[in-house]
Amino acid sequence: MVARRRKRAAGTSETEILSPPGYSAIPVKFSEKQQSSHYLYIRQHRVREDTKSSWPQKRTLFVLNVPPYCTEECLSRLLSPCGPVQSVELQEKPDLAESPKEPKSRFFYPKPVPGFQVAYVVFQKPGGVSAALALKGPLLVSTESHPVKSGIHKWIRDYADSVPDPEALRVEVDTFMETYDKKIAEEEAKAKEEEGVPDEEGWVKVTRRGRRPVLPRTEAASLRVLEKERRKRARKELLNFYAWQHRETKMEHLAQLRKKFEEDKQRIELMRAQRKFRPY
Amino acid sequence: MGPAPAGAQHRGTAGEPEVMESALEGTGKEGKKESSKKHTMAGSPVEGLLQPVKLSRAELYKEPTNEELNRLRETESLFHSSLLRLQVEELLKEVKLSEKKKERIDAFLREVNQRIMRVPSTPETEGCFRFLPPAQVTVVGSYLLGTCIRPDINVDVALTMPREILQDKDGLNQRYFRKRALYLAHLAHHLAQDPLFGSVRFSYTNGCHLKPSLLLRPHGKDEHLVTVRLHPCPPPDFFRPCRLLPSKNNVRSAWYRGQSPSGDGGPEPPTPYYNTWVLQDTALESHVQLLSTVLGSASGLKDGVALLKVWLRQRELDKGLGGFSGFLVSMLVAFLVSTRKIHTTMSGYQVLRSILQFLATTDLTVNGISLCFSSDPSLPALADFHQVFPVVFLDSSGRLNLCADVTASTYRQVQHEAQLSMVLLDSRADDGFQLLLMTPKPMIRAFDHILHLRPLSRLQAACHRLKLWPELQDHGGDYVSAALGPLTTLLEQGLGSRLHLLAHSRPPVSEWDISQDPPRHRDSGVLTLGLLLRPEGLTSVLELGPEADQPEAADFRQFWGSRSELRRFQDGAIREAVVWEAASMAQKRLIPHQVVTHLLALHADIPDTCIHYTGGLLDTLIQGLKETSSTGEEALAAAVRCYDDLSRLLWGLEGLPLTVSAVQGAHPVLRYTEVFPPTPVRPAYSFYEHLQERASLLPRPDKPCPAYVEPMTVVCHLEGSGQWPQDAEAIQRVRAAFQLRLAELLTQQHGVQCQATATHTDVLKDGFVFRIRVAYQREPQILRETRSPEGMISLRDTPASLRLERDTRQLPLLTSALHGLQQQHPAFSGVARLAKRWVRAQLLGEKLTDESLDLVAAALFLHPEPFTPPSSPQVGFLRFLFLVSTFDWKNNPLIVNLNNELTVEELVEIRSVFLATRTQLPVMVIITPQDRKSSIWTQDGPSPQILQQLVILAAEALPVLEKQLMDPRGPGDIRTVFRPPLDMYDVLIRLSPRHIPRHRQAVDSPAASFCRGLLSEPGPSSLMPVLGYDPPQLYLAQLREAFGDLALFFYDQHGGEVIGVLWKPTSFQPQPLKASNTKGRMVVSRGGELVMVPNVEAILEDFAILGDGLVQAVEARSERWTV
Repeated sequence: MVARRRKRAAGTSETEILSPPGYSAIPVKFSEKQQSSHYLYIRQHRVREDTKSSWPQKRTLFVLNVPPYCTEECLSRLLSPCGPVQSVELQEKPDLAESPKEPKSRFFYPKPVPGFQVAYVVFQKPGGVSAALALKGPLLVSTESHPVKSGIHKWIRDYADSVPDPEALRVEVDTFMETYDKKIAEEEAKAKEEEGVPDEEGWVKVTRRGRRPVLPRTEAASLRVLEKERRKRARKELLNFYAWQHRETKMEHLAQLRKKFEEDKQRIELMRAQRKFRPY
Repeated sequence: MGPAPAGAQHRGTAGEPEVMESALEGTGKEGKKESSKKHTMAGSPVEGLLQPVKLSRAELYKEPTNEELNRLRETESLFHSSLLRLQVEELLKEVKLSEKKKERIDAFLREVNQRIMRVPSTPETEGCFRFLPPAQVTVVGSYLLGTCIRPDINVDVALTMPREILQDKDGLNQRYFRKRALYLAHLAHHLAQDPLFGSVRFSYTNGCHLKPSLLLRPHGKDEHLVTVRLHPCPPPDFFRPCRLLPSKNNVRSAWYRGQSPSGDGGPEPPTPYYNTWVLQDTALESHVQLLSTVLGSASGLKDGVALLKVWLRQRELDKGLGGFSGFLVSMLVAFLVSTRKIHTTMSGYQVLRSILQFLATTDLTVNGISLCFSSDPSLPALADFHQVFPVVFLDSSGRLNLCADVTASTYRQVQHEAQLSMVLLDSRADDGFQLLLMTPKPMIRAFDHILHLRPLSRLQAACHRLKLWPELQDHGGDYVSAALGPLTTLLEQGLGSRLHLLAHSRPPVSEWDISQDPPRHRDSGVLTLGLLLRPEGLTSVLELGPEADQPEAADFRQFWGSRSELRRFQDGAIREAVVWEAASMAQKRLIPHQVVTHLLALHADIPDTCIHYTGGLLDTLIQGLKETSSTGEEALAAAVRCYDDLSRLLWGLEGLPLTVSAVQGAHPVLRYTEVFPPTPVRPAYSFYEHLQERASLLPRPDKPCPAYVEPMTVVCHLEGSGQWPQDAEAIQRVRAAFQLRLAELLTQQHGVQCQATATHTDVLKDGFVFRIRVAYQREPQILRETRSPEGMISLRDTPASLRLERDTRQLPLLTSALHGLQQQHPAFSGVARLAKRWVRAQLLGEKLTDESLDLVAAALFLHPEPFTPPSSPQVGFLRFLFLVSTFDWKNNPLIVNLNNELTVEELVEIRSVFLATRTQLPVMVIITPQDRKSSIWTQDGPSPQILQQLVILAAEALPVLEKQLMDPRGPGDIRTVFRPPLDMYDVLIRLSPRHIPRHRQAVDSPAASFCRGLLSEPGPSSLMPVLGYDPPQLYLAQLREAFGDLALFFYDQHGGEVIGVLWKPTSFQPQPLKASNTKGRMVVSRGGELVMVPNVEAILEDFAILGDGLVQAVEARSERWTV
């Protein structure tokens, strides 16, 4: 193992760093002290013609394998030598589709614990991407001028951040509820307007709000109706009335016994195999 | 395991017109072959897993044959169920002797017979013992009857000594016994030279030290096949029966004490035991004749006797002097046949049932029974026997008490076991067979407390102190058995209402070589007593005596000695009373220890150094940091009281827009199962950073990590109302508004410190921190709603709805159910906490949820069969280990029938659903009345490997711990089984104790740890203490997130100093290049191909980076893996 480690250390310094085809690799380390490094695998963000992507094609750098201690600010700082960075977005997995852009409430969606992530880095100019692809590294996440907190210091900071601010929360809740109430009121007004008004083909929508409310269209409700029907039918049926019914119940009983017997035999067989019959 | 459904497959494929009987045997080779072929075609079935039976319609509904109907009817009438019948048949097959072996044994017996007859006689000399070959050699006992069971095959052979070598008065003063011994010695001397025998040794017949017997074992590979026991017996009608009545004396005091006959004419004490032992020898043949006429042709009765023998053996009741042997059971069968309670056509199962029923309902210590039906007036009355023997069961002669050696406590134990078994059989439990006949009940696991008396020679002094000289004379100086009865009576009386049952181990029957001296009484090891406690009686510290002026007061004073004091009670009565010192529950549980020590020292001269009491040895593991006397029940009760106060505050809160409809606890503390109960927090402010504007304390980086305070979750349901929005996001916001309002109101109206977040409100009350979660009943419903394309609203479970349902509905229900269980069984808390403690100490706590372990512990109380619910944490923990290590999780759900809500039919239904859906269910399935299908508490683990590891660890820990606890010299280091094996991990991450807030809770608690910023006196409480800040847990969360798909992380949350890391077996396999595969991996070239492998060196350094400040060292045991 020692020998192999030495060999690999030598290998990284001399030979070129391997990377998946289409990507280039940049070694990244937490700080000077670390011996070995992770590798960021980067390439220009490209998608097929027909898929939509919110990231600008020419100016976006797609980064794989971002270590957990590397934050958005940090990545932005590391790549800024290649050109001014417009935005950095870290995600758990590559995501081509439009991601919800509006920031989620930090009260209701606390930040998850980071693992290895992927990043979309948007430069202001296309040149930034090519410059980044030529980076040699190794990049250092935490330097003397820009220390990154980890371990105890990070946890204490996180704890302090998590101590809630009730006022801010109240304000957020109030604004949300205001818009929500407004939305509901609008919907109701619209529903009232449409009440009993036929659409272009002449169909009238029947809702619960009308003068004669109907059953809600839920699965539970329809199941309830079916159940009622079944029970009604069962009440009418005569049991053990005809001779063939008698015969059938008896046969059914026998079949149950047979089935049970088979099951039991299987159980015994298994227990025998597990030597469960050795009492001591 | 190929042949699981072999029968089914076989029957399904081959459509021959068969009978059930033939199908049963059809599981032979042919069936196996066929089924295995089928399996490979149908894909790989899981090993050893029961599959739901599939029978074709034609199979199920075909016309039954006569034989099939007969068998079904027989099963229904003679057995409980077809499963039981099959199981009994299998068991009998396993324990009965095969024909082949019988032949070999018979051959050996013929040889033995010849050799014995060939032993040369000695010439007649005056005054010397003379040997003559036996007049008759007969096989007696179970071998002849065909009821002997494996693995100990004994053949009893009676040698009738010729009349010439005995004299008239040999019945007197042990003369007969001595001649008998000499006779055997001579035989032994000659037989030992015979190459036919592998070993020739002595032993005592049924442990009676006056009656040695000779054990012969064949030579060579047959050595363990059989043991032939030779019992010399007197010629028929040699002794006059009237001389051996229980009231007669046959050991003269003068002779016994070695004096010359003084002739003072004092009445000699009767020697009932001595007489019985002589009588036993004379009755050997008549017993075997009786039994062979009764059992002779009735195979059901023989099966019954064999089953009963297994039953006794599993309960350790049949061994030693005074054991309830298989012979006694056979005689009982004979008795019940004679009273027509058993019929010869009954099945083995029915015989077992009848005997158990008889034992459970008949008290032979009061109403003896007799096999003798003659009305001869010369025969002694039953009452005469009751006077001298505790248990009475007379044989057909009416003179011999078969149960003479059985002590009252042994019989009571038998009775207790029979009662338990009857309850079990009547409950129609599915696995009654397993519990009844296959589960061993060793003393340490069956009794709440165990005590050893050692050395046994102390009992000699005890005999003198108890004035047991006549008994000693009767027992021929065997002070152990002479003292046994009086001692147990003494303790039973002293323990009174605390005791349910007192059992004693029986002195073992030892063997010795013919060249050695026989073992002495004091060499027979230790005397072990088992106490089964009555939980209701345990809470009292008072032993109430009679009023001072009553005549009984003197007896009470005499019995309790100096402990008895006069006390005046609240009702004005002045009574004698004994008060024991015990403040906490743990100490109260150990009052029996005080009682036993006091009484034994007072009445039997046995000092406490000779008493080794095993009852609370494991208590130290669940004691708090500074506690030495309590195991935390009191601290938990204090927290629960505080919670009750809080819920009253919530109920009475004014100004909430909606009223509170329910307040429910949802935290382990509130169901008494938190390993280390919380203590009120009193933070020292100087130790913390202050966040004044939010009234909070923060940890400081330059100080050690502050004390860990875990908020106790309380769910607060608000009433339903049309005002609630019907949209998940909006409900969340409304709930948050309620949390804020709750905090405000609680602070305003009751002045308690509160802190509200979007999902909960933390409340600091009397030093305890509660986390109130507002819940709305319909929210899970709303989360479940999905709209189909046709506009139909249907309900589908989503992860969010399931989580919410679990946290706000099921968890409170479980908590209240277990809270109730604790009220019924005070030992539940201790057992559950010990169990959890052990699992966590083995670093497996993360994978097995709190709730699942609590439920397993609850199962020990709700389904204790074949035991009774544990009354001490120790025995409960042992049974936990036993349950975990033996339960077949693959094929059985663990059903915890809380509040007895599930009916028998529902249980059957649950089992069949379980079988049908086994593959979709988690590895460990725990069913409760609230959770009948999904086993929510084990959904997220453990994985099969973790469960397997747990089973292995439990199976290893159990014998070690039992041995330690049963060791009369003291247990040694009781924490041994709580220390985890670390050699299985690939990487060890050592943590710095400075940042482990619960460092002092470790199994090996450090003598000193860091200051955690707590005051011993209550200080100001205007700021919220640091809540739930546990660096190791935060670190683990990061590790699992970052490296969860490469490795598993194991840690003991109670002060563990090391994190064990295990690489997943698949993680080192090179992965193809894929964007989703890159996490923590690097690209290397393998054989010219680019693949991804874990970047192990960088990952090891990441371990240190992520835990900066907490991690002391990362030890990679690189020899264990290769990339």
